[in-house]
Amino acid sequence: MGVVSDIERQLGRLRAREAVDGMPELRTSTMTHIVWCPPEWRARARATLAGLLERHPARTIFLIPCPGTEARIDARAELKDFQLQGVSREVLSEVIELRLRGSTARHPGSVVLPLLVSDLPVFCRWRGEPRWGSEELAEVVGITDRLVVDSSEWRHIPAAYTRLGELFGRVAVSDIAFSRTLPWRRRLAELWPGIGTVDKLRVEGPRADAELVAGWLRSRLRRDITLTRRNAAAVTAMWVDGEPVASPGELLNASELLSAELDQFGRDPVYEAAVRAVALPAG
Amino acid sequence: MSEDANPLLDGLQLRRRPEPCAVVIFGASGDLTKRKLIPALYALAFRKLLPEEFAIVGVARSPHTSAQFAAAMKKAVKQFARDPFRQDVWDRLAAGMRYVGTEFDDEAGEDRVGRVLEELDAERGTGGNRLYYLAVPPQAFASAVTSIGERRDKEGWVRLIVEKPFGHDLATARELNDLLHRWFGEDEIFRIDHYLGKETVQNMLALRFANGIFEPIWNRQFIDHVQITVAESMGIEGRAGFYESAGAIRDIFQNHLLQLLALTAMEPPIDFTADSVRNEKVKVLKSMHTPGPKSVVRGQYGAGFVEGIEVPGYREEDGVSPGSLTETYIAAKLYVDNWRWADTPFYVRAGKRLARRETTIAIQFQRAPHPPFEAIAGDGLRPNVLLIHVQPDEGVSLAIGAKVPGAGMTIRTVHMDFLYGGAFRTGLPEAYERLILDALLGDATLFTREDEVEEQWKLVDAILGAWQRDRPSFPNYAAGTWGPAAADDLIHRDARSWRRH
Repeated sequence: MGVVSDIERQLGRLRAREAVDGMPELRTSTMTHIVWCPPEWRARARATLAGLLERHPARTIFLIPCPGTEARIDARAELKDFQLQGVSREVLSEVIELRLRGSTARHPGSVVLPLLVSDLPVFCRWRGEPRWGSEELAEVVGITDRLVVDSSEWRHIPAAYTRLGELFGRVAVSDIAFSRTLPWRRRLAELWPGIGTVDKLRVEGPRADAELVAGWLRSRLRRDITLTRRNAAAVTAMWVDGEPVASPGELLNASELLSAELDQFGRDPVYEAAVRAVALPAG
Repeated sequence: MSEDANPLLDGLQLRRRPEPCAVVIFGASGDLTKRKLIPALYALAFRKLLPEEFAIVGVARSPHTSAQFAAAMKKAVKQFARDPFRQDVWDRLAAGMRYVGTEFDDEAGEDRVGRVLEELDAERGTGGNRLYYLAVPPQAFASAVTSIGERRDKEGWVRLIVEKPFGHDLATARELNDLLHRWFGEDEIFRIDHYLGKETVQNMLALRFANGIFEPIWNRQFIDHVQITVAESMGIEGRAGFYESAGAIRDIFQNHLLQLLALTAMEPPIDFTADSVRNEKVKVLKSMHTPGPKSVVRGQYGAGFVEGIEVPGYREEDGVSPGSLTETYIAAKLYVDNWRWADTPFYVRAGKRLARRETTIAIQFQRAPHPPFEAIAGDGLRPNVLLIHVQPDEGVSLAIGAKVPGAGMTIRTVHMDFLYGGAFRTGLPEAYERLILDALLGDATLFTREDEVEEQWKLVDAILGAWQRDRPSFPNYAAGTWGPAAADDLIHRDARSWRRH
């Protein structure tokens, strides 16, 4: 009880402290950004946020499911301020961290809902692999306009793509693993029309990235394409029917990738088709 | 599947990239090239918005080699570019950079430019496509246009970006248009007004036509008047030669101010193509009636203080005649005679050495018809104003009345602010980046069309005609103030006042 009002009080005090110089700061949001973030992901999520807020001022709500039996929510609010170039005023973004203990981790909806910024879109970056079919996933999906995952963080692929596909009718989904392959997909598109009869794709890179590129080719070309792969931390090379594909030489960092996802609204039919083709390769 | 239906292209977020081409800058040794054009091209290269097959040819009278020109431009990029210097980006850009030192009317020199371009076509694959940027003084304009026109190749496209001033009056503007049309079609001519490349000016179109709440009240029934201010705190910065013959009316009013007014007053275009937008702007310009002498005020600054520093008066500036009658300030009350704006005044002002640098468009709405409070409650209450900050602090503010917390009912004006950089922190592109890229893509939406320029000059010529009949008493405002007292009288006569700063 009282978590939301406690957060509002904390934010009010912080805003008053920021305004002591008499110069009103701007509180700017273009969205509510929820981050589902198990404790082991927290440090990386905070680092990504540091590079993100300047481009997408938002009220960010970290949901950290913590182990424990006592049902309790620990809340902490902070303001991130950014000096604008050539302007004396600062822009404030709000960051709220909620540690969900015990059963509260299964029901985040009731605490998040009153904290959403009215009339603005809600994005959720889900760190790690969701517990498919869980209550917490269902509640977060229910209040989110766009769910952003990175399937390279998952252990159960390609099977997990089938479960992900079940969410497509309920929420727009995007996948940073798929976005990361965009420069490579542009390169592959340049190989048209020769690539139209491809049978084999070989990828040196993470499993998720490789599966999604193969799924993408299968769905776009409506062909069965065999994928072989050698593991690497990032996609470093590709071959189409044994022929090497010229490297695009573009790499985006985590903040840039998430930032690009937060610019997108609505469903991505190309991604959805690719996921379905990973889960169920065309015959 | 057919070859032209590449199924892999769906969803790839492909940016439209210009075709292979060479940009030829006439006047490449000038300040504009150093401060704006090359930094803008670097910014485009930085974002991979230029084609792989790209080249830059600088043409000017100074006798430099290509290596010297490239070295000077590298220094300029380090000094003026908005992005950090990256050697790999610079190397890509500099690899196709050449310089030709020549007078613009020297046939042999112009032939050398042609040969360099042919070499670049062969070496860099620029395909005979040329974008000429004419950053030259007015007296060099005709010879530059003629030499380009005479040498234009049948292969590849040719486009010309033409810098202001575009003419000195309606007659000379028409002569320039005739000269250009001798060699080029209107769709090949890009008359630049860098104000139109500013994000906030384009945001005006988004504000008006992407938001359902504004357009229904964007008319004479709800708007009391509009104020447009283009204020500069700096002086003429060594441009006495140009400014003495131009003055504020030709330097700012004829182009930037009238374009801002046209964007504010125009009807919704049917789409965002070049001709649709420009058709609507030109209708506004045609609808403006000539202001009478009492509706225009001119001024010239005397000595004063700007930001605490003592500055000389205009007549004491280097190169300015001690008895100069050139105006450094203009204010006017203008009317757009159409159904939407009849009887709604547009007060516009522009000047140098004003109190601060500021370009704003203020839409002042009618007062609430019958506030049901005691008279004293609203003492501090002003009418609603939608304020569009073009520069600096790009954004939009709405002044509204709000109750002061506490007992009783006291109402004060407060501002709701949208600061452009606060919501979209991607770094606003420089106007020249956007405009050069548009010209490379052949999109003339943000450039001024022949008929717009001529309508603007018609209005200016009419004002100048009236000015010839009297001799102003200059200087009439001190540097660092908001202009002459007569400008205040102009608006006070209508029981209104300039915005408080």
